[in-house]
Amino acid sequence: MPITFHLKRQPSVPLESEVFSPDVMAELTNTEIRALTIYHGKRQLPISDFFDVEGERSEDLVMHGAMHKVRWIGRAMSRGSITVHGTVGMHLGAYMKGGRIEVHGNASDWIGAEMKNGFIHVHGNAGGQIGAAYRGSMQGMKNGTIIIDGSAGLEVGMRMRRGTIIVGGPAKDFTGLQMKGGTIVLMSGAEIRTGAWMNRGTIISLKPLQLMPTFVRSVDASPMFVNVLAKNLKSLGINLPHKASEGTYRQFAGDLSVSDKGEILVWQPVA
Amino acid sequence: MQKSKFLPRGRKDRTMVLVDIRETKSAKAADIFLQVRPGKDFELITILRALIKDRQVSDQAIAETGLTREVIDDLIRRMKGAKFGCVFFGMGLSMTRGKHMNSAALLTLAAEMNAFTKFVAMPMRGHGNVTGADVIMRWQTGYPFGISFSRGYPRYNPGEFSTVDVLVRGDCDAAFIIGADPGATMPQPAIDHLKRIPTIVLDPHVTHTSKLSRVHITTAPQGIAAPGTAYRMDELPMPLKPALKSPYPSDEEVVRRINEAIAKKPFWLPDGSQPQMLNAQV
Amino acid sequence: MLRITGGKVYDPANGIDGVVKDLCIDDQGLFVPAVEGGRTIDATGMIVFPGGVDVHTHVAGGAINFARAMTPEDHRRTQAFIRTKSRRSGLGGMAPTTFATGYLYAGMGWTTVNEAAVPVLSARHTHEELADIPIVDKASLTLMANNEILLDQLEKGEFERAKQVLAWYLWSAKSYGIKAVNPGGVAAWKYGHDAKQLTSPIDGYSKLTPGVIVTHLARICDELGLPHPVHLHCNNLGAPGNISTTIDTLKHLEGHRAHIAHSQYHAYGGDGWDTMCSETAQLAEYFNAHPSITTDAGAVLFGDTVTITADGPWQHLLYKLTGRKWGNLDVENETGCGIVPYTYRPSNLVNAVQWAAGLELLLLIKNPWQVFLSTDHPNGGCFWRYPEIIELLMRADVRKESLLKLPDGIKGKITLPEIDREYSLYEVAISMSAGPARALGLFQKGNLGLGCDGDVVIYEEDENVRKMFGHPRYVIKGGEIVLEDGEIREAPSGREFIVKPPCDPGIDDFMRPLFEDCYTMSFENYPVEMERIHNPRMQDCIEVPR
Repeated sequence: MPITFHLKRQPSVPLESEVFSPDVMAELTNTEIRALTIYHGKRQLPISDFFDVEGERSEDLVMHGAMHKVRWIGRAMSRGSITVHGTVGMHLGAYMKGGRIEVHGNASDWIGAEMKNGFIHVHGNAGGQIGAAYRGSMQGMKNGTIIIDGSAGLEVGMRMRRGTIIVGGPAKDFTGLQMKGGTIVLMSGAEIRTGAWMNRGTIISLKPLQLMPTFVRSVDASPMFVNVLAKNLKSLGINLPHKASEGTYRQFAGDLSVSDKGEILVWQPVA
Repeated sequence: MQKSKFLPRGRKDRTMVLVDIRETKSAKAADIFLQVRPGKDFELITILRALIKDRQVSDQAIAETGLTREVIDDLIRRMKGAKFGCVFFGMGLSMTRGKHMNSAALLTLAAEMNAFTKFVAMPMRGHGNVTGADVIMRWQTGYPFGISFSRGYPRYNPGEFSTVDVLVRGDCDAAFIIGADPGATMPQPAIDHLKRIPTIVLDPHVTHTSKLSRVHITTAPQGIAAPGTAYRMDELPMPLKPALKSPYPSDEEVVRRINEAIAKKPFWLPDGSQPQMLNAQV
Repeated sequence: MLRITGGKVYDPANGIDGVVKDLCIDDQGLFVPAVEGGRTIDATGMIVFPGGVDVHTHVAGGAINFARAMTPEDHRRTQAFIRTKSRRSGLGGMAPTTFATGYLYAGMGWTTVNEAAVPVLSARHTHEELADIPIVDKASLTLMANNEILLDQLEKGEFERAKQVLAWYLWSAKSYGIKAVNPGGVAAWKYGHDAKQLTSPIDGYSKLTPGVIVTHLARICDELGLPHPVHLHCNNLGAPGNISTTIDTLKHLEGHRAHIAHSQYHAYGGDGWDTMCSETAQLAEYFNAHPSITTDAGAVLFGDTVTITADGPWQHLLYKLTGRKWGNLDVENETGCGIVPYTYRPSNLVNAVQWAAGLELLLLIKNPWQVFLSTDHPNGGCFWRYPEIIELLMRADVRKESLLKLPDGIKGKITLPEIDREYSLYEVAISMSAGPARALGLFQKGNLGLGCDGDVVIYEEDENVRKMFGHPRYVIKGGEIVLEDGEIREAPSGREFIVKPPCDPGIDDFMRPLFEDCYTMSFENYPVEMERIHNPRMQDCIEVPR
């Protein structure tokens, strides 16, 4: 039986609640969970002030409600799962080390920021800085997978090192900014400055992109690893075209202001 | 303009290049004016970063910025040939599409130029003592702006804790505003939120913000009727010496009296409920 | 009023080495023979030291404040001080915030710190920051060796005039002494150059050499009678083979008092990064033969830190070597500084040599009154890691263990493995308190004698040296118990030491036209007003024997 939370009143200011993590709750009784501290602005309050709590001692959490002001859910979690029915606020799964987060609804900025591993799937739209490094830090996500079915904001995958981010809807500017490794898949393209200052890593777009002037076109071909990636994504229910009969990937290298080891692949379907 | 040992002829020994999207009055004072296409600052600077390292960029890519290869090559030659280069930049860069990344681009370019010659970059700050606020926040909290104290210690995240974002999202339930007029400059949702919550303004004048506030405390204008310190944009503090007397208290005095009044109330956390020091922050 | 009874007292200034003795502090915060009433601390079985004195640190001013802005990623992972009714919030880490700086220093028993690099132009700023560092007493040193007006006087051979100019600057900054950084090199860096040879003219000058600057600054400090001698950061910092520059510099100082800052960074042999080795034996030998010169170690500890120095050219080199963040500040015609975050790694041969060299200097210089504990915070490591160095000095076995982590290539490059010396508690007390206080000319500090400032740190004796020095039982500042059982109890504001050197009243008229020619602020606004100094304490000039 999972532990279930229902938001019973809307917080008036952000509710910082990093205790919503299987690592914290897995061994606790219902009473102990109700008493865990969350921060309503500067006030420390028990979870039960804002949530109805059912269940206890479980690695699986289920949350219901319009929680766009609830921040830091799943912070640094290493196991178990969190399922959200509704919206969530910033920093969902930031610093995550393992486990699974699924959101049936919209999420905000900094999803999976600086995460080390784990899996996050947002079925709705997301904000910016997905899998990114926090300001000043050089280390974005190190591993793991983030899937956004809807749109995404600015700086998706900023300074990421490894791992995979898949965005179903359109992304905004600076996708893959200063990327150092890993893969970003854009199913519906992105606005401008995609891959700016990228050092290494791969950005795949199924829609045409307006590229930075500091990228050079190399070849039109589907590299081997796209096949491997497509196979992996298939198991996640994502269809990445890769067959030569369907089209090819136009490859670009850059960002020349930094390096020529980053690559952007843009899908060219057979007309 | 200041003469110096290495530039004995003053202005004549200096070259000024102005880059803007339109020919402003400053263009008259400049030796060279470069008109960049709106929204292409980041691209232009990134091209410069590539070209100073002798990486190839196509003519077409350069042309999209509104400049020609000849002009850019000349600019790079002048930059590399300078004894001491300085880039000044302002809100045309930091407040247009790309925002902080436009500034970051310019700062990075200046840093990389030091492989060839001495180069520095300096932001032209907005009105008032912006730099002073920035400097003091840094020494007291470690961060220049966008700071939250809600957990009892400073945390930083521009976009989350910066004023405009907090107001637009409606994240605060009170506002205390000193020496600024967000009511005149911020987007409508931010202004609407200021109207909704108790807003307190300290200002010598009636402003857009003071009109929508619940409380307006009139204070003496700093530097005119109240002493103090203002930081120049190169972070040098200048003493402010008042020329006039004012019947109103200074901002500092008002804040101090508010602090004293708060200190008489019980602290919002029970004594000993918090550790002195946290080893792992949130 | 406070009485401390039964503790084992280490007071090297008075030759007291572990004697059980009572101490009394009166209402003025000074040691007195006896007091009536007040609190008594029973220190039976505990160890009593004079409060620590940091002779060389960077805790306030434009440079460290720039470093704070540059390292938010470190602030996020470091210790956080939570605000209470009596305590301000703050962050520790590589570049701690001001309030945290006070709490962290006091938290390990240090009660006096010397901010070692202040450009006159940012002195007003630095004093404001120092006022926000609670508990500890403070002094600051003014950067002088690259000041163009002063250098012009030295170039012209106008020694007397140079002395007056320096005194004028010193008083304008409301400072305690003179710091010289890479003499001539920082001035040259404004045009992308450096000054590496002591006897070659500096860029833009025909006769003036770094050697001339060094000698004259030392002489001026002596003739003005500044309580702290010239505080010198030699040319060629951090470069392989710089030992010859350092020894050459020391020879230029003969006949004068001097303090050599962070000498670890100036004691390398070899002719490139591959061949770089420690030449501390040679440097220590010089110190052993010249007792009037003092130094601080500038020891390096493995881990993350941020390097900050007025040595701009070196910082640009470090930026290119590491590819990390880099900040640079130029302070008009006075000086400049560079900032680069850095990680010292035991696996890196250069870092390993640096780590060993700092400890070697502390161990090879025989007289503990000549070499003091420092990391050149934050350059070699953060000040709050001093207890780790004390442990390495007191325990040869801990050193041996640490040596095992170094790469094999270290053999033949360092002498640390051959050194068996272990510091006694008495020697630690000299190195962390009595010695630096004496070198700074702060005779009321680092001294438990009658009439001195009641700054005391009390430790529970512990086999674990690092724990013992990292977690004092009590810290007393000016007779007030500021730390008890690991908790900061009081956070009084500290004082600031200032020196007013004798100055010719006509110097204003001489300075004004020169000043107005090259500065960008008005002459009247330049000197820091006395009212801006919080709790100033004037320290007298002294007679320096020739």
